[in-house]
Amino acid sequence: MNNENNQKPISPHLQIYKWNISSLTSILHRFTGVVLYFSIVAICWYIVYYTYSTSIKEQSDICECWFGTIFKIVIISATFGLTFSLYYHFCNGIRHLFWDIGKGFELKTAKINGYLVLLISTVLTISTFLLIVYLKLY
Amino acid sequence: MKKIKIAPSTKTGFKHWLMQRFSALALIPLIIWLVLSLVKIIEDPEGYLPVFFAYEFNAVMGILLIIASLYHGSLGMRVIIEDYVTNKVKIHFYIMLINFISITTAVAVVIAILKLHLIN
Repeated sequence: MNNENNQKPISPHLQIYKWNISSLTSILHRFTGVVLYFSIVAICWYIVYYTYSTSIKEQSDICECWFGTIFKIVIISATFGLTFSLYYHFCNGIRHLFWDIGKGFELKTAKINGYLVLLISTVLTISTFLLIVYLKLY
Repeated sequence: MKKIKIAPSTKTGFKHWLMQRFSALALIPLIIWLVLSLVKIIEDPEGYLPVFFAYEFNAVMGILLIIASLYHGSLGMRVIIEDYVTNKVKIHFYIMLINFISITTAVAVVIAILKLHLIN
């Protein structure tokens, strides 16, 4: 009975297949979902930390040295990836909901939708960051 | 040829599928609220962020968003674990771990938001 565990068929792994738009959007949906789940947990614990720490103002000053610059770059790129993940999962999730009510299943429509979702989420991410830059400057 | 044993259905799959869709539908307006309020925060972070949860609407929407997204997230993580982990004991362990993380995070953050709401 112990061998039974290892004989269960599992989901196809990624390396075997040729990439196309449907598999790319599908695996990106899963990947961004995992990223979003763990970032929500991290953000939640940051809110808890923020609530119970009394001297939050002092800790927000990062030292003006090379380490602080690297830290800022890491934070900014993580925010960029997180924003893209959020928009992508949101758009592709709506696509999945349309599939669930039986719309957009035709091969051609599904392909166009896939490219559209990638395009819209990229445009939303870039425009969000342009908006942030705009708000910070003015 | 070896016969593959199929695990007996637990009859919970349809409810799981349906709840994932319902939580996804609930998350659509909540995410739109999140993006709009983040833009407001970025406009004036020092003035707006400390009193953000003092507004009733923000506190309610924030708690709803966190509970809905953690619920949706743990349902999704369960599917991924079931798809890619082969050992049954490990599957149950990881699912319990995800549920533990989600529930403790949700309880802690709801209490924190209530505190932020009440002290401001």
